[in-house]
Amino acid sequence: MSDHPILIVGAGLAGLAAAVELARQGLPVLVIDQAQAIGGAVHRQPLPGVRSTATGAQAHRWSRLIAEVQAQAIPIRCGTRFGGVDHTGAALLTGALSTLIRPRAIVLATGARESVQPRPGWTLPGVMTAGAIQSRIKTLAEPPQGRVLLAGSGPLLLAVGAELCRLRHPPIAIIEAARPLFNPASLTLPLPYLTEAATYLAHLLRARVPLFFGAHLTEIIQTNGPLVAQIDTRKGPRNFAVDVIGLHDGIRPNDAGLTNCDVIPTLRLGDCREALGARAALADGFAGGQKLAAELLGTTPPSPNHDLQRQRAAQARLARIYAHDGLARLAEIPAETVICRCENRTLADLRALGPAPTARALRLDGRFAMGACQGRFCAEWVGRLSDLKAPPKPIGAARWPSRPISVADLLTTSDPIEKETK
Amino acid sequence: MPDPAEFDVLIAGAGIVGASVAWHLASAGLRVAVIDATGPAAAASGASDGAVSVASKKPGLMARLASESLLYTRELSTGGPLAGAFHARPSYVFGSGAVEMSALDALVSKLADLTGPVRVTADGPATLLPGLGGAVDRLVVLEGEGHMPGHKAVRAYLSRPGITTIWPAPIRAIASDSNGVTLDLGHRKLRGNTLVAALGTATLDLFPALPIQPRAGQLIVTDRGPVDALRGSLTAASYLVAKTGSGDQLPLPPVVIDPLTTGQYLIGSTREAHGRTDQVDFATLKSLLSRASQIWPALLNRRVIRTFAGVRAAVADGLPIVGAMPGQPRVLMATGFEGDGICLSAVIGREVALMVQGLAPQSHWAADLAALSPARFENTAQKGAA
Repeated sequence: MSDHPILIVGAGLAGLAAAVELARQGLPVLVIDQAQAIGGAVHRQPLPGVRSTATGAQAHRWSRLIAEVQAQAIPIRCGTRFGGVDHTGAALLTGALSTLIRPRAIVLATGARESVQPRPGWTLPGVMTAGAIQSRIKTLAEPPQGRVLLAGSGPLLLAVGAELCRLRHPPIAIIEAARPLFNPASLTLPLPYLTEAATYLAHLLRARVPLFFGAHLTEIIQTNGPLVAQIDTRKGPRNFAVDVIGLHDGIRPNDAGLTNCDVIPTLRLGDCREALGARAALADGFAGGQKLAAELLGTTPPSPNHDLQRQRAAQARLARIYAHDGLARLAEIPAETVICRCENRTLADLRALGPAPTARALRLDGRFAMGACQGRFCAEWVGRLSDLKAPPKPIGAARWPSRPISVADLLTTSDPIEKETK
Repeated sequence: MPDPAEFDVLIAGAGIVGASVAWHLASAGLRVAVIDATGPAAAASGASDGAVSVASKKPGLMARLASESLLYTRELSTGGPLAGAFHARPSYVFGSGAVEMSALDALVSKLADLTGPVRVTADGPATLLPGLGGAVDRLVVLEGEGHMPGHKAVRAYLSRPGITTIWPAPIRAIASDSNGVTLDLGHRKLRGNTLVAALGTATLDLFPALPIQPRAGQLIVTDRGPVDALRGSLTAASYLVAKTGSGDQLPLPPVVIDPLTTGQYLIGSTREAHGRTDQVDFATLKSLLSRASQIWPALLNRRVIRTFAGVRAAVADGLPIVGAMPGQPRVLMATGFEGDGICLSAVIGREVALMVQGLAPQSHWAADLAALSPARFENTAQKGAA
């Protein structure tokens, strides 16, 4: 067993930091990532021949980590999807590396996913997540075509807005549900957070981008032409006619369909464990790698990581600064609003299940979380809408596959496990 | 002195069998409560493929009951409670190699012995079904069977007025006397004149003396595609071997490919001697999908979006347990269907409702139903206790 590598899922900050720590201790690792290049969401790399849009600070952080990855000669396979780990400890990889393997341990560092609250019209073409716009900027160094509106809540809206300004394609407006600039607690954030925010705001103000705080995008309508976003501002309703709308309502751990395994150590690191952002992911990756190495080698576990605790405190402060009443609006959306995009199920379909439906009823009778995403995007809202007072519960237990697996891909996976047991 | 009964009949278990019993009793004008630890169709009924199949039943008693239940299910789906839940469709059974060939021979002769609704409409080479891949030596086409997703049937039965549903409410204890039964639900007690225990795998928690064993089966669901590319279930003869024989020596994976009305495929299934719903493994997935896609190559264009295990309640002697508990005339069992509950629920619901009311079954069912009585374990249970 000891020659089997530790499988690290995700070649972003947390996954690579963990890989560096484990490799330093002489433990064999294998890093995989579903994307065609390393970097994860935060350090997504430009396509070949495209200039990088990363800021100086981002580029510096990344190049330091990459230097360590190269020094340890860490094997990385991109274009490889993780199907899950079963109860026997077998992990399924498909894509560029197509195999069933039996790793010595698994580190899940799959990062964060964006949360987007359902609103009427949110499924129209041209409506995407703010993160998707950012991803396009990072890989192509190009803005989306046409007029862009950013709406929802969270620091990412300002970041994407600023990146659009740097590409000389400022957004038509930014609609932010919270009022972070009007909260005196903002000044208690760590300095790097403040300088980052100041840089974004400088770009946005220079480009004269209208910033609406305490405002909500309540509905998106499309007749023949552009998308029309209805905005509820503090001074009354406004309309914006645009071509692209980037929605964003915060980030969550990207852990849908990830199961733990009883027979091998399974560790979640970075945003996959707790969505605290890039700085925390890097700290968590190094700390988690050290902890796992100590566990596997039987050495003394490292002391708790203070950097991570600082980042957690900062994120908690940020969450308070960004607190808003957007969730209350969820209860007011029209009954015909789509909640589950995969199976096209509406709020009316959810209400038809009666009060407090069981997970089984939500799935089988309501067909919520039954489509290709298995609830990755809708479960949070189905849970909230089923019971507005309680925090949302998952719809049933997590089950692999964490992403759909092509039957053809599955059947062509090599099977060294089978050979081993024969 | 216990409290006066709130209900004529308490039904423990909101699976398909409990739901059918509830519907039949409510139709007879009785006050019925259905109690479930989790909710409707929470265990085997919700995890099932929904096949209403006579072909997969053991010859003799089980095949006779299945045939009768299929007829009655079709009746209940014609303007009755199962309208919209059951639909008729053809079924296909395929095989290759000597063991599967003889299983197909046994299937054809079993169906010839039954005067039921299922008949063989074709028996020949793979070319009988367009889209079938190689690796099939023989295909038997059946008409008369159908499909009924368990959760839909449960919902349909339980929507009848006169049925009170109580969940989530795990039953802590059962106390029966000569006048009735009291259920301890923790926060409250519930009194009824009679209890019907349709608890499936949970039977063991409350009736540990009954020889019920869990039998897990792994299932795979694909994404959507064209609807009706395959009109009915496609079953490997080795699945019949697994169900009707010992199942220890299967020549080939026991695959069933079930087309769902959504355009998805449900692919199953193993029979494993444990009760874990979280034990699904890649090796089994690969083995089932490998044979499934050889038989039905259209699957190669699909993606697996979900896998799960369902747990059937099997009985040591392979027969369900239906009837009054010895020494507890107010407690009736209806459990141990090992995945056949979907098919048998209609007739079992009807017959258990008659038993509850003290009415005799139709004369030609009396012997078959008597064979399912829990009284058959009395000697073993006493030995176990001694």
